[in-house]
Amino acid sequence: MEKSHSNNLMSKIQKHRDEMAFSEIFDYFAPKVNAYFIQNSIKFESSEELTQEVLSTVWAKSDLYNSEKSALSTWIFTIARNKKIDFFRKNSKIDFKEEDIREFLYQDREVDLIKENEAKKQIERINDELDEQQKIMIKMNFFENKSHKKIADELEIPLGTVKSKIRLILTRMQKFLR
Amino acid sequence: MNGTVVKNQLVFDFASGLLGPAKSLFASTYLQLNSNASRISSTFENLLGENLMDNENIHPKNLKYTDCIKGENSKSALNTEDPVTRYFGNLNNLNWKQVYKGFKEYTASIDDKDELKLIKMDPGVSVPLHSHGGKEFILVLEGSFCDEYGEYSKGDIQINDQKIKHTPIASRDTGCVCLSITEKDVIFFGKYGSFLNLFTFIKSFFKSK
Repeated sequence: MEKSHSNNLMSKIQKHRDEMAFSEIFDYFAPKVNAYFIQNSIKFESSEELTQEVLSTVWAKSDLYNSEKSALSTWIFTIARNKKIDFFRKNSKIDFKEEDIREFLYQDREVDLIKENEAKKQIERINDELDEQQKIMIKMNFFENKSHKKIADELEIPLGTVKSKIRLILTRMQKFLR
Repeated sequence: MNGTVVKNQLVFDFASGLLGPAKSLFASTYLQLNSNASRISSTFENLLGENLMDNENIHPKNLKYTDCIKGENSKSALNTEDPVTRYFGNLNNLNWKQVYKGFKEYTASIDDKDELKLIKMDPGVSVPLHSHGGKEFILVLEGSFCDEYGEYSKGDIQINDQKIKHTPIASRDTGCVCLSITEKDVIFFGKYGSFLNLFTFIKSFFKSK
């Protein structure tokens, strides 16, 4: 989805509570968010409930979204991630909710957040530097939260290669972000 | 082990949602106080957002957009309390435990395998030469301290493991207040130590089902 289009839709939701605009956001993101939960080993029934919670938050808290601060995909990712954290905590009976803390960081970091236009260039630079395998590893490790062993099995490469490649990404990140 | 890698790992794990409550509170405070860490986290979240954008589609079966538009447009009141204040309240009102003269600590009662503590050192107070049982992360909240390896001010993290022996001294002018995490799990060392630790952690995260 083009950035100008998603900004337009979000602004219609914010200003006019436009349900048709929301249905378009829903159609685009709900299957991707649902896939994210399933990739994180959450069963289909729960993944659907969590997807509902995420998209409901997008609707109910649309005023918190600021297109100058972040891309819509980043904002929706952070909501989905927070729901995932709460889901796993609840299942392990850990009584510690922190969505408000993450919201605080999100609102308060205005000064230190990387502005949308700058972020785009940075992402392009990172994507240029990383090879295809490293990009897949970032997704598997940090997006799908797979263990190094699982990554090695699925990519059919030695465990040591996975570990050293991911370590290299962590080291080189510093360089990209300067 | 390279300190930068360990710090980046902490930031990435926070952005990915992999941390337990204690480390998560620690990391969020780090991001709040340290603008470099905050920028790294922000970039990494953008990268993960891109992953979401390019993600495959698995369509929900029984969910329609009309199920998601029940809530009102609620601009929640801006949270103005930082994570430490939110969790501990006013630090002056805590029931600090004096370990020895000029050195106090307060242990958080968070249900987690890692231990989260606040440490308060009076101006000029030093800690006798010591090493560490597990890996320990120290984040300076107020004031500063120094040791054989350098000076640490507000927003700086020091990482200690069994290999490090040091004699921290609190600033003579301000003293210092720090947040500390001690990993209680088995700690692996060596070239791939941090990844083995991460692996153990992820395992424990999913074990509960």
